[in-house]
Amino acid sequence: MTGCPSDLKLEMHLLDPARSGVGEHVAGCQRCKDELAQMDEEGRHFYRFVYPATLEAVSAPRRRRWANWLLISLAPVAAAAAVLLAVRTQPPSDYSGTKGGGLHLEPFVATASGPRAVSDGEAIPAASALRFRVRSSAACTLWIISVDGAGTVSRLYPPQGPSGASIRGEVTTPGGVRLDGKAGPERFFAVCARNDPGFARVEEAARVVAGGGASVVRKTGALPGLSPETAQSSVLVEKAP
Amino acid sequence: MVDDQARIAGLYHRYGPAVYRRCLRLLRNPEAASDATQEIFRKLLQDGLHDDPDVALPWMWRIATNHCLNQRRNAQRRGETELQPDLMVRAEEAPGGERRLVQRVLSRFDQKTQAIAVGVLVEGMEHEEVADVLGVSRKTVSRKLALFLLNARKYLERTSP
Repeated sequence: MTGCPSDLKLEMHLLDPARSGVGEHVAGCQRCKDELAQMDEEGRHFYRFVYPATLEAVSAPRRRRWANWLLISLAPVAAAAAVLLAVRTQPPSDYSGTKGGGLHLEPFVATASGPRAVSDGEAIPAASALRFRVRSSAACTLWIISVDGAGTVSRLYPPQGPSGASIRGEVTTPGGVRLDGKAGPERFFAVCARNDPGFARVEEAARVVAGGGASVVRKTGALPGLSPETAQSSVLVEKAP
Repeated sequence: MVDDQARIAGLYHRYGPAVYRRCLRLLRNPEAASDATQEIFRKLLQDGLHDDPDVALPWMWRIATNHCLNQRRNAQRRGETELQPDLMVRAEEAPGGERRLVQRVLSRFDQKTQAIAVGVLVEGMEHEEVADVLGVSRKTVSRKLALFLLNARKYLERTSP
């Protein structure tokens, strides 16, 4: 044993350093500082991805047993409604945010009544929580990235790692994102290719769009400079204060 | 209802990272940890989560530990591999041989013994701290730990080529 505090004590320290009782040790222990830095990083991941994606389910009132029975009995009706909704939320045929074919990005915004598909160009609250569903007709490696009117490029999925995510068919990406609360346009780009272009290449293309400001973000449906085989799909949202 | 939901959001914001990190450490899979955090928090809120961290944190630590160890055990029974990698440990804290022992035989023991073995042998917690968190006596921790080590070694001797 090294005498370092346990993970539980370090959690207490993160919550309330004054009361944790381990502040003196931590201040003089590089190993504990490293551990706390890693915990802090994991906490940031939680706030950025896990919290917005799960808050609604966590805070939703628990259903009573009779309500569960009611839901079971209505399941066929709900399934039919879901099919109709899926058809209704397809993009229009002249949708300009798709390139390369075979890829479709569909963001969902969390609302009080549950998640709802977002239409291209729709205004939504500036601090909304979003999740993404992607459909690809072929196996490919996916990246999702966003560019806002202020020129900020945000890597969304996969959140970490050197490689994109391998997908085929329909995928709802794990976790979600919360918008930054600042008004203005933000465009979400899904990029999927058989040969992974790598995040640096995707980010570089996104920065070209970001450099053009809000009007370019609104007009540009596909990231420039990626190989012609790269399928793309994008959706614009207008963040409303 | 709005006030209640705001309070829940506040508690989840405050304590969610600790539960998520606990699950991440035990499950070694961000997606599984995210799902587990959500399930654990719903249970915690249903049971009535306390605002005071001195009370809330050890309690949710225990719930999260039991939940995640249970998930690992169920995954192993089903033959799933994604939740069976080595536990994420602060490597130098526990004697290496015993830590390896925990990794290999953990799922063969009951939930309480698993939690004690992980707490003491993997995470380097003092017996007293494990006892506080799990709501058992220090004597129980020592007794179950001794039984764990004895039976785990016997099991390994039987199964070694």
